Amino acid sequence: MQYYFFHLMSWPYLPPDFDSVYDSAWVWLPNSLYDPIKGADLYNDYIDTLAYADELGFDGVCVNEHHQNAYGLMPSPNLIAAALTQRTKRCKLVVIGNALPLYNPPLRVAEEFAMLDVMSRGRLVAGMVIGGGPEYYTYQINPTHARERFREALDLIVKAWTTPGPFLWNSKHYFFRYVNPWPRPLQQPHPPIWIPGAGSLETIEFVAQRRYSYMGIPYFHINVFQRVFDLFREACEKAGYTAAPEQMGWGVPIYVAETDAQARKEFEPHFRYFIKNLLKNIMLAPPGYTSARSALAIMKNRGTFLAEKESWDDIEEGVYAIVGSPETVRQKIDYYRKKLGVGVVLTGCQTGTLTHELARKSMELLAREVLPHVRDVEKTEVRRAGTPVA
Amino acid sequence: MFETLKKLKYGARVLLSRKGGDAETIDVRGRSTVIMHGGDGPAFVYLHSTLGEAFRWFPFYQTWSKQFTVYVPTHPGFGKSGGFDQIDTIEDMAFHYVELFDALGLGEIILGGVSLGGWIAAEFAVRWPERVKKLWLSAAPGLWVDDEPLPDLFREMTDRDKVRKRLFHDPNGYMAKLVIADDANEEQMLSAYQSMAVLARLMWERPYDPKLAERLHRVQCPTLLLWGAHDRLVPPAYGEAYRKYLPQAELKLIPDCGHMAMFEKEAEFVDAVTRFCR
Repeated sequence: MQYYFFHLMSWPYLPPDFDSVYDSAWVWLPNSLYDPIKGADLYNDYIDTLAYADELGFDGVCVNEHHQNAYGLMPSPNLIAAALTQRTKRCKLVVIGNALPLYNPPLRVAEEFAMLDVMSRGRLVAGMVIGGGPEYYTYQINPTHARERFREALDLIVKAWTTPGPFLWNSKHYFFRYVNPWPRPLQQPHPPIWIPGAGSLETIEFVAQRRYSYMGIPYFHINVFQRVFDLFREACEKAGYTAAPEQMGWGVPIYVAETDAQARKEFEPHFRYFIKNLLKNIMLAPPGYTSARSALAIMKNRGTFLAEKESWDDIEEGVYAIVGSPETVRQKIDYYRKKLGVGVVLTGCQTGTLTHELARKSMELLAREVLPHVRDVEKTEVRRAGTPVA
Repeated sequence: MFETLKKLKYGARVLLSRKGGDAETIDVRGRSTVIMHGGDGPAFVYLHSTLGEAFRWFPFYQTWSKQFTVYVPTHPGFGKSGGFDQIDTIEDMAFHYVELFDALGLGEIILGGVSLGGWIAAEFAVRWPERVKKLWLSAAPGLWVDDEPLPDLFREMTDRDKVRKRLFHDPNGYMAKLVIADDANEEQMLSAYQSMAVLARLMWERPYDPKLAERLHRVQCPTLLLWGAHDRLVPPAYGEAYRKYLPQAELKLIPDCGHMAMFEKEAEFVDAVTRFCR
């Protein structure tokens, strides 16, 4: 059982009247709202927080890619990951991921991921993602080719890592006479590949067939996760093998404080900022980005999306976040990880406007009071057995 | 020359015998294409807009069919026509139509279209000018006018009020409410999504063809440019731009009319087209 610390690097300084003035936190939200002076402190504090997760013993830290928005300030997660290769010692560095259709040539991803893997001495987890709908508005990349480009680019990258170069590549969207990236990745045959998904059957089946890992994107009702992981296990059986728990990741914000009441009091306002402001228009869906049937399904499932939730009871009932005392959080994680059958939890600990101090307090409680109790018992025993007594 | 072309009709799968707007399906180089057909007289091909108004024999087709043999094909990817996976660019659409006309044995035709359909007609005419006897374009994109950038329909498409304002001079008129209905059923929503996906494929990255303006001089026939005076999606400035580049074009504005002249000002629209094409 592995626990990863996820950071979005959100912009916490949106004006109080944001919701009434702006129709989106994405794509066309005026960038005059970004203040680089505040931004400088923010990046440095966020990177400190990620480095602290390594010290606290999280299995890895996660960064991801979004463009022109206040929700996540990493248009290039690879830059942050590069900084983290120098600030962390032990944990995995998960870039989850690079939005492949946005890179032309996608060889850039093969190169930069290989750099990160070598620089971190083999600690990279290579996340590959189609990219959210808003990114297609921002980069003006044709959404109707998104899936084709994603698959071609992914195949190209894996081949570039595993086949001696130079070789010629020719597919519908990409032609390269000399595929021959320097450096090559340190992990062999290549870094683990994780693919985030929001529940589309196309992605679930694809990841299962390739035996990669599927990371369920948060902000959906727990029943949606249950259905997605059931579908994933089914798809793996269809592909002729049994899914390993490590192939399934559950994304969920977690906040721990001394008591349940205190946890909610400290966390809720910041989570509300996140829901009300930062999720605004995240579901922007360019036509042709999914099949018409999937688009309809997404429309119908809108009610299960966090942005539609007003009451705290709804948030708790749907497990959109796990918030409470160490004991409460322990119980909930233990219950739901077993119920979902996942081997990976990706937890966003610093959500919305949550201060660095509170984020670190919560991380400490999570790492010290909770996680030791919700790892795989067997594995822990094996580790103990193999560890010399100090 | 057209005898030679007739020989080229590789694979007319279906005899279009029934008149008056029954849908037939023919195979165009692997693309299953739905086409409606009716009337008598010179061949007159109507290319539909992103609304996909080719699924039904609308009254304006019926009016034209008194003087012309009217063909209303459904573009690849729209409605029940297949072949979307073979279409990447507006040029692919033009080639689809030359192959469709070959398959139908149509040599010289009267060609026109509304909005997306007009753009396709223009792209056809610059490539095969000898096959177009008369050309009419209504509310057609395809060019770019710096002073009047086209609005982002893909941003507004989920808001029915905004869409009605874009498409109609009178967004509260019954036609606007009929065409962009508030109570769309599942099938209509799927169909609209599919239509917008085709449009996205053709114009997401660049909502015009940078080569078209310089190629328009190749059109040899008289051209009618028919625009709603209050078109807020593809403003009349685009009609003016077409007029500038086409050798024999007249621009006619329909008063109190938006983007969808065939629905908002049907009588004026049909009349102008018919007079020009006769």
